[in-house]
Amino acid sequence: MIRLLGPLLLAMLLVAPASAERLVSQLSNDSIEITSSFAGERMTFFGSVAPDAGSDQKFVSGPFHVVIVVLGPTQNRVAREKTHNFGIWLNTDKVEFYNFPSYLHVLSSSRLSDIADVTTLTTSGILPESYTLASSTGDWWKTEIFSRELMRLMSKDGLFGMQENGVNFLSDNFYSARLTLPSNAPPGPYIALTFLFKDGNIIARKSEGFSVRKIGFERFIALAAVQSPLLYGVICVILALFTGWLGGALFKR
Amino acid sequence: MQIYLPIAELSVNLFFLVGIGGAVGFLSGLFGIGGGFLLTPLLIFSGVPASVAVASVAGQILAASTSGALGHYRRGGVDLHLALYLMLSGILGAVGGVEAFDWLRDAGQLDVVISVGFLVLLGSVGSLMLVESTCSLLKSRKGVVVRERLPNQHNWIHGLPLRVRFKKSRLYISVLPVLSIGLFIGFVGSLLSVGGGFIMVPALVYLLRVPGSVAIGTSLAQVVAMMAAITILHAVQSQSVDILLAFCLMVGGTVGAQFGASVGKQLRGEQLRGLLALLMLAVAIRFGLSLIVAPADVFSIAALGAAR
Repeated sequence: MIRLLGPLLLAMLLVAPASAERLVSQLSNDSIEITSSFAGERMTFFGSVAPDAGSDQKFVSGPFHVVIVVLGPTQNRVAREKTHNFGIWLNTDKVEFYNFPSYLHVLSSSRLSDIADVTTLTTSGILPESYTLASSTGDWWKTEIFSRELMRLMSKDGLFGMQENGVNFLSDNFYSARLTLPSNAPPGPYIALTFLFKDGNIIARKSEGFSVRKIGFERFIALAAVQSPLLYGVICVILALFTGWLGGALFKR
Repeated sequence: MQIYLPIAELSVNLFFLVGIGGAVGFLSGLFGIGGGFLLTPLLIFSGVPASVAVASVAGQILAASTSGALGHYRRGGVDLHLALYLMLSGILGAVGGVEAFDWLRDAGQLDVVISVGFLVLLGSVGSLMLVESTCSLLKSRKGVVVRERLPNQHNWIHGLPLRVRFKKSRLYISVLPVLSIGLFIGFVGSLLSVGGGFIMVPALVYLLRVPGSVAIGTSLAQVVAMMAAITILHAVQSQSVDILLAFCLMVGGTVGAQFGASVGKQLRGEQLRGLLALLMLAVAIRFGLSLIVAPADVFSIAALGAAR
């Protein structure tokens, strides 16, 4: 056994670079439950930078930067533009975005432009443009215009945001970040991608999933509406008929 | 107090929901209308997705018309035979209307069609009612006795074939105009999410010469059947009926309607019709302006139908 492990450990030590850091991260909650009084939820992302397992390094030296990208379940969206025709404002132009994240928030410990160059940020999926360009069906110029509007309208609903001071370093190697999910956050699987930067390069990354889901009565209703829509509709009708009858009976006598 | 709406997928203040339900219910009790043309725009304005708002308001109109229809039925104000013809054609029209609604929403032209529809319908019916009620108010002030039209006065509609006798309405008329009125109301009602009472009652009274005492009850009975069908259609097709949203609106609406009805008893018919006409014209102007005034934001986003 030991004879087998020996060369393996040696090989690992040789492969590992002289200074290697790893990211230890954690979410405050791995599932967010939507109940009848759900009005958004605050989440905390925290973690620390530690020497890589197996390296002889005792401590890590910064400065480090952390970027957290929180992505919601994907969705197909359309952005439309109204123009003035014959005296009436009509939707005439549109760009469709397929499999676009329904929720997108980027938190970083400093200005993104100070952390890394645009190429690194785009290829690693940190800049929102990397999502709009990938999911759009229109030509480049139209996508450029409409994706900006899409981002603006989504941030009005609290579904998109960039917080370039969202991540705080509490010590040289310990960070924490806070994010408030709005009440209209679409239910589904979420993913939080954490990138650790040093000198403009990504030196470690980690992804953690969490879910936003309806529980109890809300889950029951949402499931019923999708799984047995006819029965659901009939129950809505009976409820309405009953409420109407009850209202008449209570007040008119 | 915030309440999470499971289908609309957002949380809204419970008192706000019951409040607008109650306010619209008050007006609906006062004027004897469903109130859909006020409720749907209010909901959309407060952030509820348009498809959810339209589908859930159908449930609210159903509840509001049920108490009215039952009351009229007890007093013998419903011609069930005539209502049956209107219901069947209305449900048929509603199937087409819901289909058109889904198609227009995906094409991105739904809000324009809704605006034009409200502008034309509310504008024309509202102005006609305003003129009529002002004339009768002026006449009654001068002391002239208004001679009501006799129900047996005939027009071209009474010359059509396929005649059927409707005993309670004391009518012997062709079913063709009856069916086409039902079809039209069903289509427009499901497209604009209104009960259509404001078109139905004048159509029954002025076109078919249904006696006024039967027209309102019959129209309400038809609205009940049509709205039940529309609710089920929306639930099956787009799965966008929010039962919690609808229930909050129903509770507010049913209570509000009682107060509206008791206030309405203290006002005269012409005054009520005049006020309703002004309300309808105001909503029509509001929709008209939304068409011609430059929007605050020319861009809009929506989720595509496939992944709601």
